[in-house]
Amino acid sequence: MDAILQAIVNGTLTGSIYGLAALGLTLIFGVIKVINFAHGSCLMVGMYAAYWVVLLTGVNPYVALIVVVPFLFFFGYFLQDIVIKPVLEAQSDVREPTEVIIVTTGVWYILDNLTLMLFGAEYRVVQTSISGTSFELGELIVSAPKLYGFIATIIVSVAVVWFLNSTKMGKSIRAASLDREAASLMGINQYRVYNIAFGIGTAIMGVVGCVLIPFYYVFPTVGVIFDVKCFIIVVLGGLGSIPGALVGGVIIGLIESIGAQFMASTWTELIVYVVFLAVLFIRPAGLFGSKLDW
Amino acid sequence: MKRETLDKILKIVLVAGVFTLPLWMNSPTYLQILILLFWYAYLTTSWNLVGGWAGVLPLGHSAYIGIGAYTSTVLAMHYGLSPWIGMFVGGILASIVGIIIGVPTLKLRGAYFALSTMAFGEGVRVLVENTNKLGPFAINGPRGICIPLQNGFWNFQFISKVPYYYIILIMLCVALFVTWYMSRVRIGYYLNAGGEEPEAAEALGVNVAKYKVIAMAISCFMTGLAGTFYAQMALYFYPKAILGLDLSFEIAFIALIGGRGTLAGPVLGALVLRPVTDFSRIYFSSILPGLHLVIYGLVLILVMIYQPRGIQEPLSKAYDWFLDNMTGTARAKGVKS
Repeated sequence: MDAILQAIVNGTLTGSIYGLAALGLTLIFGVIKVINFAHGSCLMVGMYAAYWVVLLTGVNPYVALIVVVPFLFFFGYFLQDIVIKPVLEAQSDVREPTEVIIVTTGVWYILDNLTLMLFGAEYRVVQTSISGTSFELGELIVSAPKLYGFIATIIVSVAVVWFLNSTKMGKSIRAASLDREAASLMGINQYRVYNIAFGIGTAIMGVVGCVLIPFYYVFPTVGVIFDVKCFIIVVLGGLGSIPGALVGGVIIGLIESIGAQFMASTWTELIVYVVFLAVLFIRPAGLFGSKLDW
Repeated sequence: MKRETLDKILKIVLVAGVFTLPLWMNSPTYLQILILLFWYAYLTTSWNLVGGWAGVLPLGHSAYIGIGAYTSTVLAMHYGLSPWIGMFVGGILASIVGIIIGVPTLKLRGAYFALSTMAFGEGVRVLVENTNKLGPFAINGPRGICIPLQNGFWNFQFISKVPYYYIILIMLCVALFVTWYMSRVRIGYYLNAGGEEPEAAEALGVNVAKYKVIAMAISCFMTGLAGTFYAQMALYFYPKAILGLDLSFEIAFIALIGGRGTLAGPVLGALVLRPVTDFSRIYFSSILPGLHLVIYGLVLILVMIYQPRGIQEPLSKAYDWFLDNMTGTARAKGVKS
């Protein structure tokens, strides 16, 4: 029983980090209606940025956030502005521009392979002051970096929801996500809104990168692992839904960690897909998605 | 010379050239590259029935290739069933799976469908990689299956590459014919309408979801056949080669680069993108690892920025321009200056 309880705690913590990664994806999708296939690659960029900052300055990975998050924000901002905007403009009459998916996939290939060219294929790991530390609560052992990740998820989610609901820019983003023509008529510069939404979605990957660095390897294709997880999570939770992303992340985390108690980890991966398809049959719009919207 | 005559002559020369190619090209390497090119063109043509006409983006079609390849191979190895028959069993099985996946997902809009099919494709890959024995049949997990050598027509095995060339060429022609035929009958119009304006089509009484499922079933059936072809041509296949994201994505890329929802698009896309893949891998990956994929990514982005509808459009314009200049007559519709 203790093992199960331990698995539940671990699964919730890891799952919350998945949820945070999926939050960035769902935010971008909610506004631009584009699945960002380069999302995992943005996480990879965030992880490398965190890796180098921690390695070169020796600071705590959470201090590195000060550098990594703005860097990722502008990275996403200009990625959207320079690469994705031209295609969006050409496709402005289409509700869901699929061509943009291909562009983001191109970005994915380029980012992953440029990183491969620059830094090589080796798995890198950086020793931080909190790597491997943990708290003990009676019988339970809670990994410190994962607990901080959980806390970061809560802080970022609250901040994003506050930003979307209470600031002028946040309201513009929500308006543009509801109806881009109407929002444009109200004087909202839709492409600026897109740039900022994309920037925020990518900046969140900077947070995830810093959170992951104490206990995860960095290598050029690390993003692909998270890409597929994020896609499953956002569809499970409902595309464009913020609570959906978080709950979906925790569900996936729990399946993985509880499943690992009973079988090899490759099989838990399969259970994730089975649960995903089962949910899709019962509730095709996802747990928190609105059927009217999709 | 009349414009139509020149058009006809060029097309006949092209068809004759393609069909007699193995007679005057002896290099098995280039023949192999061409076989794979046609294989991709065939796959993309099958994909196009859903991805092009029905207006959604399936990203898990490699699963159906895998179903086709594994079904016919297992049947041949354990029951001695000819792959020619196993091919159709695999196709029907792929079609049934496609319907099961399509019914819940095709009702939804594109992004859901794209991600669900992708997760499904990955799920199939993980399943196969973790299965050493499927009931009584050994499928060897990630190591894949090596097909024992038994040459002969009935065993779908040939020493020369030439028969494979003609088989895939005929398969491609049939797939193109199916696409052309579907675009001319009711279902094609329904699919097109449903893909462009689902609300409007449904308001007019078209059961969009039903026709999309039919298109999915046909598409998956044809994709399953391609799996058997690959298995019999390579005689060795493993999950990473015929299942998984990379192959599913490549099919979608070829379609979008070529021109989604057009008849010639998949072939043109394969004609452009396959050489980019093959030659940049040969020449650039030895200079810097990963450079060929950077080039691939750049090609994707540039084509999508400058020709979002694919290269089919400018190419057919260029062909018209060529015809006009060669014959000195403008097209009958003649709006060009």
